[in-house]
Amino acid sequence: MSVVVVLQAAVPRDIGLFEWLLDGDTWTGRAGILSSLLDTVILCGAVMATAIVLTVPLATALAHYRKGELTLTWFVTLSRAIPTFAVAGLLVPIALKRGWGFEPWPIFLALLLLALPPIYLNTYTAVRQVDQGAVDAARAMGFRERDVLFRVELALAMTVVLTGIRVAAVQVVATEPIRAFLGGDGLGRYVRDGLGQNNDTLVVGGAILVAALAATTGLAFALLERVVLPNGIRRLQSTQTR
Amino acid sequence: MTEQPAIRLDQVSKRFPGSEVEAVRSLSLDIPRGSIVALIGPSGCGKTTTLRMINRLIEPTGGRIEIEGVDVTSRAATELRRGIGYVIQQVGLFPHRTIAQNIATVPKTLGWDRARVDARVEELAELVGLEAEMLDRYPDELSGGQQQRVGVARALAADPPVLLMDEPFGAVDPIVRGRLQDELLALQTRVHKTIVLVTHDIDEAVKVADRIALLNVGGILEQYASADELLRTPANAFVEEFVGEDRGMKRLTLRLVSDLIVTDGAVVDAEADRSAVPPVLRAANSDWFGLTQDGRFLGWVSRQDYEAQPSTALADLPRALPAAQVTPDSTLRRAMEVIMTSDTSTAVVDDGGRFGGVVTLEQIRAGLAAPEGS
Repeated sequence: MSVVVVLQAAVPRDIGLFEWLLDGDTWTGRAGILSSLLDTVILCGAVMATAIVLTVPLATALAHYRKGELTLTWFVTLSRAIPTFAVAGLLVPIALKRGWGFEPWPIFLALLLLALPPIYLNTYTAVRQVDQGAVDAARAMGFRERDVLFRVELALAMTVVLTGIRVAAVQVVATEPIRAFLGGDGLGRYVRDGLGQNNDTLVVGGAILVAALAATTGLAFALLERVVLPNGIRRLQSTQTR
Repeated sequence: MTEQPAIRLDQVSKRFPGSEVEAVRSLSLDIPRGSIVALIGPSGCGKTTTLRMINRLIEPTGGRIEIEGVDVTSRAATELRRGIGYVIQQVGLFPHRTIAQNIATVPKTLGWDRARVDARVEELAELVGLEAEMLDRYPDELSGGQQQRVGVARALAADPPVLLMDEPFGAVDPIVRGRLQDELLALQTRVHKTIVLVTHDIDEAVKVADRIALLNVGGILEQYASADELLRTPANAFVEEFVGEDRGMKRLTLRLVSDLIVTDGAVVDAEADRSAVPPVLRAANSDWFGLTQDGRFLGWVSRQDYEAQPSTALADLPRALPAAQVTPDSTLRRAMEVIMTSDTSTAVVDDGGRFGGVVTLEQIRAGLAAPEGS
């Protein structure tokens, strides 16, 4: 516990919210917002990258070969039934026992479990629902199986896949602050520290930061979709949801 | 058929995994170059399976399929398919690509340069009757009929000698279907492809196909003949039942007025003397006679008017009825319709403005009794 106390943000209790947020020292330094933000972004980025690499190819391949319909049910259940905090809490003693420390494996695995279902579900169903006429026509025009998969099925599923990734990212970013209660830091530290010091400014300010990051993540992904998706695929988004 | 057929199916069989019976059993079929052959039959007759075996979307479990004498299994399936056009009922356009990009799919795969692809796309759009401004649109912005035209253009893009069509007009409404069928026939007179067309609609087969292969459940070929022969002399009870009780009526749509031996009928030149009329009326056993002038048909005059005005010249007699007209390339069905609604029970053939004789029910009946082309 002593380690945590040393790293706590030392803030006077009577400081106002704006005063705290506008103070340069709040943002810089070892316990500053920027460094906490970096911690959070790195962890979330690692979780998302792993989740995408694990699920998108697998879900695409399974949907292409019409295999593993049952996995859908597992993932639906998983997405509804897994309490992330409990999972991470359970993993902490295991990690400690094995000498892996508080960070980052328990929180990483717990967040990964949170990120997998939306990406898997969206990818699988989107690839599965691609117009079979288009797939049939592609094959009949001499597309190789790989091209059918990437240039037709995945291309047509792309907007829905990206939506799944965005949903997962927002959830992960919004959930990551529990890390501060499991022996780590990141953007959740201000809420934790504020609670520990009975400092409302820190609690509210920390909560605002977490909410702002989650909202920014959602917006950033929406923007990314606009930038990276070719015209024809982006249009599908509007025709599919119409 | 001494000439080598474009497509030859030799004892082709297909048994799907896990199935007891064969979907197609030992089917042999020669498809002549440049002709449209319809595969038709009840569901489960293996017509689509047969079609898909030609471009190896389904691999046969027995027998041999040749295109231009070359076994289809002698080269990679992907390479084979790039040389065979394929049109399906669902059209299957790529919704994320423009019409031009859709049509250009196979040429691009084949590595054509951009200028050649663009020129070909424009040529095809013109060929299937798509306006140039459609090319930059996306499939969902087109009507069903337009989409199917794009499907045909895409299939023809790399100018394949063979075109496979799986119920190509099944998803559009009857009016559009009729128009697309007409367009296909018009297209075929320009491109001369070997077309294999799967349909469940006997009327469609009769209308567009040069030859019809009627399959029974299990891919058994019941009859392979021209539409006229199939309708006139069904090989067995199954064929007879399948083509329907109105097969005589269906043959009417196959035959044209120009196939008939057309007579002049009860027609008199307007400049002729009045005395020419009675023998004509007697010979035709008619109460009406037609007036012609300089090879044009003027109209019908009734015997009543002729007798009531004994001193009037023929050209000045009242023409009570306009001519109910058909053209030489009208179908007999159309001619019959005209005759049925005409008071004179006669249709006048208008051959590009010139009088080309008259058609009566008796002539149509006599025409149907003979096989096509005799």
